[in-house]
Amino acid sequence: MRAALIIAAKDLKVELRSKEMLSAMFLFSLLIVLAFRFGFSNAVSSGAVGLPELASSALWICFSFAAILGMYTSFAKEKDRETLDGLLLAPVDRSELYLGKALSSLVVVFFVDLLSIAFFGLFFSFDYNGQTLAIVALALLGSVTLVLVGTLVAAISVNTRAREVLLPILLIPLIAFSVIVPSVTATKNAMAGGIGDSVQQIESVAAFAAIFAVLGYLTFDFVLEG
Amino acid sequence: MMMDRRKLGTILLVVSVVLMLVTVYLAIFFAPLPQTGVKSAGEILSSVDESRLQVAGFVSAVYDRNQSHVYDRVVFSIADFRDYQRYLQAAAANHLDQQWWTVRPIDVESRSGGLVGGQGPDIGQRIVAGANLSVNGIVASHMIAPNSNVTGFSLLSYNGDEIAFGPVGGFGLMTAPVAQKIFYFHMPSAWACYLSFGVTLVGSALFLKTRDHKYDRVAYSSAEIGIVFATIAITTGPVWAKQEWGVYWRWDDMKLVTTFVLWLVYIGYLSLRAAISEPSTKARVSAVYGILSFITVPMSFLSSRVAPLLQSSHPQVIATSSGSLSPQAGMTIGIAVIAFTALFITMLIKRVEIAEAEEELEELKRKIGEEE
Repeated sequence: MRAALIIAAKDLKVELRSKEMLSAMFLFSLLIVLAFRFGFSNAVSSGAVGLPELASSALWICFSFAAILGMYTSFAKEKDRETLDGLLLAPVDRSELYLGKALSSLVVVFFVDLLSIAFFGLFFSFDYNGQTLAIVALALLGSVTLVLVGTLVAAISVNTRAREVLLPILLIPLIAFSVIVPSVTATKNAMAGGIGDSVQQIESVAAFAAIFAVLGYLTFDFVLEG
Repeated sequence: MMMDRRKLGTILLVVSVVLMLVTVYLAIFFAPLPQTGVKSAGEILSSVDESRLQVAGFVSAVYDRNQSHVYDRVVFSIADFRDYQRYLQAAAANHLDQQWWTVRPIDVESRSGGLVGGQGPDIGQRIVAGANLSVNGIVASHMIAPNSNVTGFSLLSYNGDEIAFGPVGGFGLMTAPVAQKIFYFHMPSAWACYLSFGVTLVGSALFLKTRDHKYDRVAYSSAEIGIVFATIAITTGPVWAKQEWGVYWRWDDMKLVTTFVLWLVYIGYLSLRAAISEPSTKARVSAVYGILSFITVPMSFLSSRVAPLLQSSHPQVIATSSGSLSPQAGMTIGIAVIAFTALFITMLIKRVEIAEAEEELEELKRKIGEEE
């Protein structure tokens, strides 16, 4: 666990020095929320789409894309700078590496989640019916599941040609029902003031987090050897 | 060993072809058509052990198929509610939308009349209400089928604590009885695809454990065959659904969409293999994804049974309390399952042989390249 923390700290330190990802992620979340603002402009002003419905769906689309982008770069950067071999040579368990990478991705992804929530509230003049805290909590839970499966799949796709296309192809079907569908429902319920109605959804996201964590912990070793 | 396997493949091929023909014969001439049509409330109520019921109800859906939109009018009629207020409370607890669901007490003594209804604002809401009402989802399909004026019925019992369906509604009750025949090919293909992906899971795990490429060959051969069976399952399903539900596909039905996602995940598995050229990396990395992908199999299988996913009108076949497949239909489906299993094993043996030949060819090409 110590090694995982050190690896995560290393990733974040590199990030804080270059601020490459942070600035890119800032712009990414700004633009994707703007895309929703323009795309749903008429639908929202005519009342065809309610803000809570739009918010719950749009936010989870932002979160998922942010996660895909964040986890892609987390391994692609190591591969491109040829630091991945160095990381693999380090005398730590590969499972620790998995947890470390997942942890640093979680920080980046959660940062984008917060930005998206803020931008969405700003651009749509929407206060989330006063349930911002519940939505942030759901975003955190969903992001944990996203990074746990995403880190493993990103490590799989980094071995391939056309890895930037392959990551979403491999990841989106896996997260569709483990994260996105239950989280969207839970977020919508939360905005209606009834986060208690979503116990099943929250449990299901958490259960998938546990399944992915166990699978990742056991199989990560095989993905990055050689 | 080589010879044995080839012999086994040939025998199984013959077995599966024969059983497939037997299935076709049984499905057409032996398996009975599911019940359909209209029964009177009295007829249904007389088949119920009334001592066990405090409230019994009769639910049916009526359509006017000449409306411009097939779903424009749905009327539920409810008969013989001795305590309809309690029923309404239970219905509300099941999230029935009372906006369009109205119930009027009727004459219990004469067991006639019954009734009433309203208009649902949109198809989605109507289906959800139906699915909630039916608890296991089967009845929803009767409620939305456009093929007849009165499309079906199901008995509702309410013992004071819970709503449950009585013996009348069940698997054997369909609005499009002839279309149900496709079930004898649909369900075995779904079974064969789950089986194939299970073999992929086992093959992938064994490869990672032993690093023997023969397990990798089994794993990806099985995944390819699984995709073929999954494709059969998700194309025969809509053919039936169009007749029974009136639509080819429903995005709000968890069984359908989770199976679609299952199909996508294994397409992803093959794309992953295509994107790696180095054989040992290919085997190793795709084995991990082959294990990870398998979580979509229980998701698809359980989607019409398990709580967070429970929003499906897809009929359940195995292990339901009212497993009301008739013995003849059960025998037909049993033979069909054996036929598809034999076909799967045959195809797997052949596909693995092809994979071996391909690898041998690669090896020979490499040797020739070295000599030159």
